[in-house]
Amino acid sequence: MFKLNLFQSARSQALILLIPAFGVYTLFAIWPLIDVVILSFQEWNGISADRKWVGWENYNYIFNNDPVFWVSLKNTVIWTILSIVFPPLVGLLLAIGLNQKLFGRASLRAIYYLPVIIAPIAVATMWRWMYDPFFGLFTQILTDMGLGFLARDWLGDRNIALYSMFVAYVWQHVGFSMVLFLAGLQGVQSTLIDAARIDGASRFEIFRYVTLPALSPTITIVLVLSTISSLRAFDIVYGMTGGGPAQSTQMLAMWAFTQSMQIFDFGRGSAVSVVLLVITLAIVIPYMRWSQAREEAVK
Amino acid sequence: MTIVDAQTAPFSSLPKRRDPVLIGLWISLVIVAIIWLAPIVFITFTAMKSNPEVLNSAAFAPPEKIVWENFTKAWVKGNFNETFVNSTVITFIKVPLGLLISAMAAYALAQIQMGWNKFLLIFVLFGAMIPFQVMLAPLFTLVNSLSLIDTYPGVILPYLAFGVPYQVFILHGFFKAIPKELTEAALIDGASHVTIFRRIFLPVSLPVLAALLILDFVATWNEFAMALVLLQDKHMWTLPLGLMSFQGQFSDNYGQLNAAIVMTVLPATIVYLIFQRYFVSGLTSGAVKG
Amino acid sequence: MNFRRSLISSVAGICLMSGAAHAENLTVWSLNYSSDAQVSALDASVVAFEKTHPDVNVEFVKRGTDEHKTALRVASGSDTGPDVYVLWAGLGLGGEYVQAGLSTDLTPYFEKYGWADRLTVPSQAFVEAFADGKHGMPYRFSGEAVYYNMDLFKKAGIDSEPQTYEELKAAAVKLKEAGIAAFTFGGTVNWHVMRLMDVLLETTCGVEKHDALMSMEADWATEPCAVEAFTEMKWWADDYILAPFMGIDHKQAATLWYAERAAMMLEGDWMVNAINESTDISKYGIFPFPTGTDRLYGFAEYMYISTKAKNKELAAEFLDMFSSTEFQTQIVGAFGALSVNKSVKLSDDALDLHKQWIEIFDNAGGTFVNGDQAFPLDVTTEYFRVINELASNNMDPQTAADTMAKFIASNR
Repeated sequence: MFKLNLFQSARSQALILLIPAFGVYTLFAIWPLIDVVILSFQEWNGISADRKWVGWENYNYIFNNDPVFWVSLKNTVIWTILSIVFPPLVGLLLAIGLNQKLFGRASLRAIYYLPVIIAPIAVATMWRWMYDPFFGLFTQILTDMGLGFLARDWLGDRNIALYSMFVAYVWQHVGFSMVLFLAGLQGVQSTLIDAARIDGASRFEIFRYVTLPALSPTITIVLVLSTISSLRAFDIVYGMTGGGPAQSTQMLAMWAFTQSMQIFDFGRGSAVSVVLLVITLAIVIPYMRWSQAREEAVK
Repeated sequence: MTIVDAQTAPFSSLPKRRDPVLIGLWISLVIVAIIWLAPIVFITFTAMKSNPEVLNSAAFAPPEKIVWENFTKAWVKGNFNETFVNSTVITFIKVPLGLLISAMAAYALAQIQMGWNKFLLIFVLFGAMIPFQVMLAPLFTLVNSLSLIDTYPGVILPYLAFGVPYQVFILHGFFKAIPKELTEAALIDGASHVTIFRRIFLPVSLPVLAALLILDFVATWNEFAMALVLLQDKHMWTLPLGLMSFQGQFSDNYGQLNAAIVMTVLPATIVYLIFQRYFVSGLTSGAVKG
Repeated sequence: MNFRRSLISSVAGICLMSGAAHAENLTVWSLNYSSDAQVSALDASVVAFEKTHPDVNVEFVKRGTDEHKTALRVASGSDTGPDVYVLWAGLGLGGEYVQAGLSTDLTPYFEKYGWADRLTVPSQAFVEAFADGKHGMPYRFSGEAVYYNMDLFKKAGIDSEPQTYEELKAAAVKLKEAGIAAFTFGGTVNWHVMRLMDVLLETTCGVEKHDALMSMEADWATEPCAVEAFTEMKWWADDYILAPFMGIDHKQAATLWYAERAAMMLEGDWMVNAINESTDISKYGIFPFPTGTDRLYGFAEYMYISTKAKNKELAAEFLDMFSSTEFQTQIVGAFGALSVNKSVKLSDDALDLHKQWIEIFDNAGGTFVNGDQAFPLDVTTEYFRVINELASNNMDPQTAADTMAKFIASNR
C-alpha cells in the first residue's frame, strides 16, 4: 500500500516537472511540424477561411513547374558540402594551433570565436556593406592595390554571389568548429603522444595515428552539426541577397519562406519545407542511431 | 600538421631554443586573427565617419573626427528605444523561464523512472535536430489562431519550445551522472522530488546552468527568423528586425547604417567578453562529451 | 472555434476599454513613407478628422511594405484588424483582398459624397476592376518618368529632350561615347529594374497588346513584341545602365545619380521632394519615357474600408475628409505632384519640376501600371526573376518570353 502511494506520487511529481517543457514543446514545435506536412497537401492563401485539399498537386508543382525549386535545392546541396568542408577544416587547423601553449592564445581564441556570437542578420548586414560594389571594403582594397579590374559585383553577379555569401558564413562559423575541436583535443591523452614520440614517430605520424583517431567522435559531431546548421541557412540569405540576383542564391529554407510568407502560397511553401525536412531527417536519424549505439558502448 | 608533438615541448619551458615551427605557427595565427578582426574594425570605423568621409577615405583609415551623431541619429531613426526594450523583455523572460522548465523536465527524465523516459528523451532530442525554419508558416498560422501575433507571449512561447530540446538534452546528461542513491536517500528521508530538485540538483548544476544561460541569452537576443514572422507590428520588433528594416530604409547612409550594426551587436559582444569561458564549457559539455 | 471567438472578443473588449476615454475608435493601417512630407500629411489627416469629430480617436498605424502585407493577412484570419486600410490598387495587392471579399462595396458612399466626380479619372482605374460595385477610394496616383541631369546631357552633346524611343537610344549612345552611363538602377529591389521593362513593353507592344500581356490574356511566347521588349531590355542592360547594378538598391542608385555617375533615372513624381532635399534641383529635368503611346506610367494607392469595420459610416467620413478639396489643398505635393482631387491645383511658388509633372499628367491620354501591380504575386516574382536573368546576361530574349509564358500557363 505504502509503496503504491509512493509510486503514484513519484509519477505525478514527474508529470508536474515534465508538463511545462513538454507541453510547450509539443504545441509550438511538434504541432507545426505536423501541420507543415498537412499544409503541403492543401491549397491556402492565408486569407480564405478554409484550406482546400489538393493531394500531391503542390509537390507536382514544385518538382515540375517551379522555376526556382531545383536551383534552391542545388544551392542547398552546394552550400552543405562547402559547409562541411571549409569551416570544420579551418576550425581544426586553428584548434591544433591553439592547442599549443602559445603567447596570448586565450585572446586569439576569443577573437576567432567572436563572430559566432554576432547576430547572423548583423553579419549579413555587415558583409553586405563590405561587398558594396562601389564603396565597399573589398572593392576599395582592390582598387587601392591597383587591382580594381578584379573587383566584382560581389552579391550582384549570379556566378559568384553564392560564394561571396559563403565567405561571410565561414567567417562566422569557424569559431564554432574550433571550440569543439579544442575540447576534443583536450581529450587526446598526452601520455599516448609522449609514448609515440619516444618510439620515434614523426610529427605527421603522431597526428595521423594518434591524434586523428582520438578525435574521430568529435569530427563526426562537428560534421553533423555543420550539416544541420547549413541546412538552416536563412538569416544570412535573407539579409544579404534575399535570394537574388534572379533567385540564383535561393536555398530551400528561404524559398519555403518566400512562397509561404511573401507570395502567400502556403501549400507550395510547405511542400518545399517538407523536402528540406526529409533531407534533414535522412541525416539526423542515422546520426541519432550512431550516438545511441556509442552511448550503449560506453556503458 | 607537423606541430602536434610540440605540445610536449612548450616553448615557455625551453626559453633558449624556441621551436621555429611554433614561432611560425604563432605568426600565422596572429595574421589570421587580424584578418578575422578586420571586418569588425572596418564596421566600427565606418560607424564613426560622416557620409562624405566614408566615400572618400581609405577603408581602414581611422575617422578624422568621431561623428557620434551617427549613433544618436541611428538610435532615433531605427527606433532603438522600442526594439531595445522588446529584445530585453523577451530575452529576460524567455531565458530564465526556459532554463527552469528544461531543468525540471531533465531532472524528471534522469531521476524518476517512469518506463518511457528513453522515449521522451529521444522525442525531445529530435526537436534539437529539426530546423525550425521549415515550420515558419505553420508557426505563424498557429500563433495567429491563438491571436498572439505581435505579443510577447506569441514569440516567447515558440522560443521556449525550440529552446527546450537542447537544454533538456544537456541537463539530462548532467543529472544522469549524479548517483541515484543520493535521490533515493533523500526520498526515504521524506523529501519530495520537487524539493530534491530545488535543494540538491539546482545548486550543484549552477555551472552548467550558467553556461546554458549565457548561450541561450545570445541565441535569443540574436534570433531573427521567427521574430520576422511572429512580430509584424514595428512597435513589437526586436533589435535584429529593427536592423533589417534600417538597412532597407537607410542603405544610402553608410555611417548611420554601421552605427546601427554596432549598437545591435554590442550587448551580445559585451556579454560574451565578460562570460567567455562559459561559452566554451556550455558548448562542449553537450556536444562533445554527451 | 467558439472558444477562440470568445477569447478574441474578450481581448477586443479589453482593448476597447483601454480607449474608453474616447467614445469611438477608428483604426487606419497604412504604409510607412520615407519622406517627412508624406508622414506629416498622414498625421495631419488624424488632426483634421479629430477636429471635426471630437469624440473619435483615430489611430494611424504605419508599416513597411512587407510588414503591412503580412499584417493584413493576419487581420483577415481573425476578427481584429483595421477599419480602413491602405494598399496599392493592382491585382496582386489590393485586388486580391477585394476578390477575397475583405473590402466593403463603397458604391453608396461614392453616390452620397460624389467621389466619382471629385477624383481624377486615372486614379479611379481600379475601382471597379476586381469585383462588383466600387472598391477603394483613390487617395494617391503617382506617375513615373525619366529624370535627367541637364549638365551631363549638355556634356554629351544632347540638346533636346528625346521625343521618340529612337532619340532616347541615340542619346544613350552619345552619353556612352562621352563616358557617361545613361541610366542608373538598383537591382536588389527587383521592382526598380522592372520599371524599365514595363515601359519597354509599352513601347514595343503598344496599348492593346501591352494590356493583354499584363492581364495574361495574350501569350508571351508567341507575341513577337514581348520578345522585342526583352531584346531592348538586354540592349540597355548590357551597355547603358551604370554597372554593376544588380548588387545595389534603389537608394544607392540615386546616390550614384546625384554623384553624376549616370545621367538618367526612371523615378516617380514623389522623387521631386527627395531631390530638392538632397541637392540643387535646378540641374535636373524630366520627360515621360517615350513609349510612343500617350499613356502615363504610374500606379494608384487606395483606401479601402474593411468588411469588418465597426462603423462604416464613420470610416467613409474619414475617406471623404481625406479626399476633400480642403484637406488635399493642405497636403498638396506631399504624395507627388498631382492630387487625386481634380480641383486642387499647385500653388504658384511650387517647384518647377512639380509644374512639369502637372503638364505630363495633363497630356496623358491614359495610364498603364507597374508590372508588380498588374500581376498576381507569384507571377510578379517570376517576372522579376526573368528580367534579372536577362539583365545578368543569363537568358536570351526568346527564352525569357517562353519562360514567362510557361509560368503563366502553369499558374493556378
